[in-house]
Amino acid sequence: MSDTGYIVAAFAVVWAGLLIYVFVLMQHERALRKEIAALKEGMKKA
Amino acid sequence: MHDGEEMKFWNSVAAIAWKDILSELRSREIITSVLVFGLLVLLVFNLVFDLSSDLMLIAAPGILWVAFAFSGVLALNRAFIPEKEEHCLEGLMGCPVGREAIYAGKALGSLFFMLLVEAVMLPVFALFFDINVFRPEFLVMTVLATVGFVAVGTIFSALAVNTRAREMVLPILFFPVVSPIIIAAVKASALSLAGQSWSDMTIWLAITIAFDIIYLTVPFLVFPFIVEE
Amino acid sequence: MRARVFLMLSAVLVLATLAIDLLLIPSLAVTESEKLLIQFSPIFYWHIPVAWIALFAFLCVFIASIAYLVKRKPFWDIVATTSAELGVVFTTLFLLTGSIWAKYAWGTWWEWDARLTSSLVLWIIYVAYFLVRAYISSLEQRARFAAVFGILGFLDVPIVILTLFVSRQMHPGDAAFHLDKWQQMTALTVGVLAFTALYFALLFFVIHLREDASELARLKQSVEEKENE
Repeated sequence: MSDTGYIVAAFAVVWAGLLIYVFVLMQHERALRKEIAALKEGMKKA
Repeated sequence: MHDGEEMKFWNSVAAIAWKDILSELRSREIITSVLVFGLLVLLVFNLVFDLSSDLMLIAAPGILWVAFAFSGVLALNRAFIPEKEEHCLEGLMGCPVGREAIYAGKALGSLFFMLLVEAVMLPVFALFFDINVFRPEFLVMTVLATVGFVAVGTIFSALAVNTRAREMVLPILFFPVVSPIIIAAVKASALSLAGQSWSDMTIWLAITIAFDIIYLTVPFLVFPFIVEE
Repeated sequence: MRARVFLMLSAVLVLATLAIDLLLIPSLAVTESEKLLIQFSPIFYWHIPVAWIALFAFLCVFIASIAYLVKRKPFWDIVATTSAELGVVFTTLFLLTGSIWAKYAWGTWWEWDARLTSSLVLWIIYVAYFLVRAYISSLEQRARFAAVFGILGFLDVPIVILTLFVSRQMHPGDAAFHLDKWQQMTALTVGVLAFTALYFALLFFVIHLREDASELARLKQSVEEKENE
C-alpha cells in the first residue's frame, strides 16, 4: 500500500528528530563533564 | 486619591503623545518618509500586477495592508529610537509618571501617525486601483486593526531598540505576533469590498476588538519591565 | 545520573507507544473513506501528543517568564529558555508530521488555513525568542527581555487552540475529542502520557545541562582569577 510509505515517513521524521536532538544533548553533556573534571583536576594541582 | 492618580496618568499620556506629535509636525521627518514609502509600495504593486478588476478586488485589501504594515514599521521604529539616542527616555522616566504612561503615550503618538498616513494612502489607493474603499465597514476595520498594530508594535519597538540589531529586528519580532490582526483586517476588508454588510462581518469585528483589548492590556502590564534601569 | 536514566526510560516509553500504535490502529479502518480520516492512521497518535507537548512547553515558557520577572532568579530564565527550545523542537515535529499527513490525505504539503498558519506563526515566534536572546549582550537584560517576549509570544497559543474548534477546514479540527473506538482512545492516552514524560525528562536533563554549563563558566572564572593573582 502506498500509504504505509507516508506513515513510515512520518514516524521516521519524529523518531529521527527526537533521537538526533537527544543524542546531541548527551554529547554536549559528556563534553561538559569532561571539561569540568579537567578544570577541577587543574585546580587541585595548583 | 485614586482619581487624582488617574488624572495624572492621562495627563502624562497626553503629554508624551503631544510631544511626539508636535516635534513631528515641526520636522515632518517621519510622516514624509513613511508616506513616500507607503505610496511607493502601492505603486510597485500597481506596476507589477496587471489584474482584472475582479481579481483586483480580491487582492486589494492584502496590498493595502502590506503597504500599511511596512510603512507602519518605519513609523514604529521612530517611536523609541530618538529617545535612545538623545537619552530622552531617561528624562521621561525621571518625571513622576508611571512607566506604563510612556507606553500609552508612545502608542497614542504612533497611532496618530499611522492614521494620518492611512488617511492619505487610502484615496491614492482608491485612485490607483479604481476601487471605492470609502465604505464605513472598511474604514472601521482599518482603524481597529491599526489600533492593534500600534499596540503590539510599540512594545516591540521598545524591546528592539535595546538589542544589538536595533530597528532591523523589529519586523522579525513583531510581525508574527501581529499577523492575526492583519489577517482579520484583510479578510473583513475583502468582505466589505465584495459588498457584504455589517452582519456578515460581525465575527471579524468581534475578533479584532478582542485582539485590540488583549494587545493593549498585556503590553501595558509588561512594558515597565523593558524600561527599568 | 538520574536525569539521564529518566530520559532513557521515557524514550523507551515513546518507543512502546509506537509499537502499540502500529498494532492497534491500522486494522481499524474499514472503508476507503475511513482510511483517509486521520484518526484511523497511526500518524495521528503521534501528531497529537507532539502538538500538545509543544503547546504545553510554551505554557511553561509563559509561566517561567512571569516567575522570572517576579523573582529574578536565573533558574526561571533557564526553565524558560529550555522550554522554548523544547517547544520549537516539538513544533517543528508536529508541523512536519502534519505536512506528511496532508500530502497523503489531501494531496498537498501545505495549506494556508487558520490552523496551519497560526501554527507556523507560533514556530516563528519562538524562533524569534532565541533571536532576542542572541541580540542582547547584557545577561540581565537578556533574561528580562526574553521573559517579556515569552509573555507576549504566548498570545498566539490560544489562537492556535481556538482554530481547532472554529471552522470546517482541511485540518481535521477537534477529531481528538470525538474518538469512538477503545483502541483509538488507548493509543491517544498512552501517546500523550509517553510524550509528556519525555518532555519532563528532556526538561530536567537540559536544565541540568545548563546548570553544568554555568558551573563550568564559574570554575573557569575562578581559575582565571587565581592565575591573575
